[in-house]
Amino acid sequence: MSGPARDNPRSISPIFWLLFGAGGMVSALFGPALILITGLLAPTGTGIPESFLSYDHALAFARNPIGKLVLLAVIALFFWHGAERLFLTLKDMKAGPSLVLKLGTYGVAAAVTLATIGLLLAIGF
Amino acid sequence: MNESRPYRRPQPGNWWAKPPYRAYTARELSGVAVAIYGGVLFAGLVSLARGPENWAGYVGFLKSPTSLALHVLLLAAVVYHVITWFQTLPKTMPKLIVNGEAVPAKKITGLATLLAGATSLALVLVVLGVTR
Amino acid sequence: MPDPAKRELRILRYQPGVDAAPAFGTFWVENAENLSVLEALQSIKDTLDGSLAFRWSCRMAVCGSCGMMINGAPKLACSTLLRDLPPGPVTVEPLNNFPIERDLVISVGGFVKKIESIYPYIIPKEPRTIAQGPYLQTPAQLAAYESFSDCINCMLCYAACPQFGENPDFIGPGAMALLQRYNGDSRDAGRQKRLDAIHGEDGVWSCTAVGICSEVCPKSVDPANAVNQNKTNSAFDFFLRFLRKE
Repeated sequence: MSGPARDNPRSISPIFWLLFGAGGMVSALFGPALILITGLLAPTGTGIPESFLSYDHALAFARNPIGKLVLLAVIALFFWHGAERLFLTLKDMKAGPSLVLKLGTYGVAAAVTLATIGLLLAIGF
Repeated sequence: MNESRPYRRPQPGNWWAKPPYRAYTARELSGVAVAIYGGVLFAGLVSLARGPENWAGYVGFLKSPTSLALHVLLLAAVVYHVITWFQTLPKTMPKLIVNGEAVPAKKITGLATLLAGATSLALVLVVLGVTR
Repeated sequence: MPDPAKRELRILRYQPGVDAAPAFGTFWVENAENLSVLEALQSIKDTLDGSLAFRWSCRMAVCGSCGMMINGAPKLACSTLLRDLPPGPVTVEPLNNFPIERDLVISVGGFVKKIESIYPYIIPKEPRTIAQGPYLQTPAQLAAYESFSDCINCMLCYAACPQFGENPDFIGPGAMALLQRYNGDSRDAGRQKRLDAIHGEDGVWSCTAVGICSEVCPKSVDPANAVNQNKTNSAFDFFLRFLRKE
């Protein structure tokens, strides 16, 4: 290795940046629709029947392999997106030591990702 | 007499709260709403795994005025995220050259925002149709 | 009672070795229909205080020497007319985020080092002899990088960049625009070398896409595009380097 490579170590930011970008794109394309459906239309029964939020219906969705992938992608990527943005903003605000901020943002996103995988496996197929 | 003694002025600590940087900070925080909604879904998954009674409690929360108000706020923040996301998009792309000329950033933003509106609308219509 | 034919300028002064810290000095200049801030400074230097230090050369927004903070925003003094500024005193300060050498003069050494670090010249794919003729380029190939070649090194984008304000080692918008000017050139083969130069924390990854750098650019170079498209390039390079054949 020559000098410049040693003095100029590669940042690992691309990992977090790509997860942030993927979450940003998925939420930009489908976020408003998802919030509208699960948070407003379904709970108020507007255009969507009561059975949409039934335990059996939700369980069937979470047991379907494609449903599992959708849940994992949406939950994990949304957390990674928020984590990147919150970390950078808290860093801008000098809200605390970098390690604490990273644990509170990327750390939470990593924990939620692992927990989601665990829950989706526990729910079964 | 020729030696340089430069004076360093530190950047004010609250630059992020002042124009023109305030809009950038608002844009970044709107992305946090995306994660909060992810948290709502994650809570649902936890309730689902714990069984029917827990799930009923979760659905009860979704129907509460608190949750409805929260989701209205989240929807507003995420719509802001969508708009600003596609304003930033042309900055992250190589120049798009069509017929020897660069496509203006505003045009890319406009088309992408339209596309995002269409995908969201399509998802709502599909769910409304499937669950009828 | 202020004289309506005069305009008040509040200028941040600093004389190294004499002043402990910069402080504002007030000057009144004769107003005129088309007076630029640069001309106002020149009239102060000529008639009121010969010790006032500032950089300038072309007076027509091509040399990039007279960048300064005018009413808190980074601008070229030569292309900013007093009549376009809101009534009342005009505040003039050296560019933000740079060490002040004296009065409105800032240190540019760090910026020059950054420009040097990104190989600011064409590294040809295959060297040609004069007999072989020039390197040819289509209009579309020119359009791919041409706007990035309009940079005049005025450093207004650095004064607008809060991440450069936090981290003086950040490569910054201007040098990245120059990098993209060469990486986007069809005659160039130095892309990988330049990507390797900016893959660190002080490289492209200090940028958080604030975007004000592009808004203050007097030449519409859009340095934010240069930085952020190279974030994409650097991110792909991060993973694809394992597939690359050296």
